[in-house]
Amino acid sequence: MAKRRTKAPGKGRRVLSGGRKRVLVVLFVPGVERDGTTSIDQSRWVDSALEMFGRVFGGATAYPKAKGIWRDDERGGALVKDEPVVVHCYTTPIDIQDGRNLAELASCCRTMGREARQGEIGLVVGDEYFAIRDFGEE
Amino acid sequence: MKTQLDMDKIARGLGAERRGKVTTSGGYFGAMQLLADIEARFRVPSGGGRPTDPRWTERRLVPLAQKTLERLEEIAAKVREHGGVSVEPMQLAALLLERTTEDLNEDEVENLVRPKRRASR
Repeated sequence: MAKRRTKAPGKGRRVLSGGRKRVLVVLFVPGVERDGTTSIDQSRWVDSALEMFGRVFGGATAYPKAKGIWRDDERGGALVKDEPVVVHCYTTPIDIQDGRNLAELASCCRTMGREARQGEIGLVVGDEYFAIRDFGEE
Repeated sequence: MKTQLDMDKIARGLGAERRGKVTTSGGYFGAMQLLADIEARFRVPSGGGRPTDPRWTERRLVPLAQKTLERLEEIAAKVREHGGVSVEPMQLAALLLERTTEDLNEDEVENLVRPKRRASR
């Protein structure tokens, strides 16, 4: 029977650099524009988010669509029905608080918010919900 | 170990507003639970939207027979398995109570609460 090799960590390499990946970052990728009826190219935005999470934080998982609804107070309380895709990414406390990483994450959210005509992009970091509403280009 | 994060720094870095605390857990069901929580608390009016959690603000102890609890557990398990909906036995009980209460009329209530007459003498 083949033995599984156990590799000793290299001297110059810190296996747990930055601590354990214990911070959950969740991004909600919408399925429709703010008007609640115009579909968006959701798979493009899911791929884009996954690529960003992979590049910046080392990986992510997109879960199958869920049905959702939210109230747009800026449009007279119109209810917007949506089928968002939930993307989960585990990262370290150091990586999520790094300014450059946050800028990349924010840029991805703003681009999606702007081009997919959203009212808000929702993001959970750890145990807190963040709303990005300003999609202006930097 | 609890993760200490500087949420203000993260909010600044993201150019985002801090909206409130949520409970997160991993996996598909964690994702769906979180989505429901966020929609209920941050995006849907307290008087409408999802028909369950936001309006269920009252909690009371409800005595019930073992047999009834077993039946509720059995139905909830079937709903979870076939319907793909995560429901607990007592959530199911609350839904049934809500629906039955809406449909009840006074005669039915009287029949339910009137003690059964014993054949005395």
